[in-house]
Amino acid sequence: MSDAPKPDAGTVDRFRTVMLPHLDAAYGYARWLTRDPVQAQDVAQEAMLRALRYFHAFRGEDAKPWLLRIVRNTWLDLARRHAAEKVPLEEIEDRAGDGLDPEQSALAGDRRRQIAAALAALPAEAREVLVLREIEDLSYKRIAVVLDLPIGTVMSRLARAREKLAAGLRGHLERRGHGLPDM
Amino acid sequence: MDCPTCEAMVGAYVDGELSVAESAEFERALEACPDCRRRLEETRMVSGLLRDLPADPAPDLLRAKVERELRAIAGRPRPYPRQHLRWMATAASLIVALGIGWTGATLVSQSGRETDALMAGYLRIAMSDHPVEVASSDRHTVKPWFAGRIDYAPPVHDLTTAGFPLVGGRLDIVDGRKVAVMVYRRNRHWIALTAWPATSAGDAAASVAQRDGFALGDWRHGGFELRAVGDLAPADMKSFVTALDRAVDSDR
Repeated sequence: MSDAPKPDAGTVDRFRTVMLPHLDAAYGYARWLTRDPVQAQDVAQEAMLRALRYFHAFRGEDAKPWLLRIVRNTWLDLARRHAAEKVPLEEIEDRAGDGLDPEQSALAGDRRRQIAAALAALPAEAREVLVLREIEDLSYKRIAVVLDLPIGTVMSRLARAREKLAAGLRGHLERRGHGLPDM
Repeated sequence: MDCPTCEAMVGAYVDGELSVAESAEFERALEACPDCRRRLEETRMVSGLLRDLPADPAPDLLRAKVERELRAIAGRPRPYPRQHLRWMATAASLIVALGIGWTGATLVSQSGRETDALMAGYLRIAMSDHPVEVASSDRHTVKPWFAGRIDYAPPVHDLTTAGFPLVGGRLDIVDGRKVAVMVYRRNRHWIALTAWPATSAGDAAASVAQRDGFALGDWRHGGFELRAVGDLAPADMKSFVTALDRAVDSDR
């Protein structure tokens, strides 16, 4: 980290052009990882700064997965730091539902809210692969870069995550007495 | 194609990750496999539902913070007027967003103008390189600074022990009146506490509202109307309120 050259004005300009357009994606991914709008802003901001620090190592490959991978690492470090401060990881992990601001989702329909809640309730491993695929619309290859996994593992994780979400939704909707006909 | 293969291909088929030949092969296999047809329907439905979720773009405050860091790192002379305009635009758009979306907050029902002023004041602090006019964590420095600048002695307390170190103080205008603003930090978050003498008697318990990653506290304690704005979680805002009330009480 310390051997990274200090970014100059030209580097910052290039960074602005290449990485800044992906700030929405960085925040969106962080939002689903942390399930908390305040923490998500911290993670996204810290990730942007790290990305700038390491920008000299960016070789003009695909910018979005490169940035999202940094977002993910930043989030993992934050979670670890919380663990070191004796906040058990489950506490960070188990705040499902918390992440969904009920007022914010009031604009969206009841059904959308349930889907968001079902997604938020999934374990991180399942949640993030679904977010990268369905919300950030990344190909398997790009997801593999973000998660640092072989494509085959991405595929099997995605399949499992979809099954989990479908099961969660079935439970959710059935409890409310309007099940999905085809699920 | 045997079913485990077919099953493994459902996701890749929906995701457009199969070659033309593989897709054709999969479609043929599908005809003979009702289980995989059901699986395909389910995968499509899950995918459709997730894609239907509303987009959640980066908040303006985050964008402004990142911009500020980039400018600072680039080490450019700061283009004051333009930058100022941009902040004002950000502040204005945030205020509009907050104002429209705000439900259940007592602040708006009391006075939308007051909330606007507090939010704008908060943004000036959070985005400025000089968030305070008197910078000190020592209340005996900050409190006297207000003397002669404002017609009341605001409650100034360092709350470091509760995790909210005092950064300093500044003046602002709310509803045409000069008010004292005490600025605190919580890690990298700012809290702006605005205080002015209460006109009604007694304490009023704090209501804490949240919107777009901001928390707003609104209460009356120790003879002051108190409004706190910060980009932090509502639970942290509640701890801040408790810590401040305790400090005010121990001072009486």
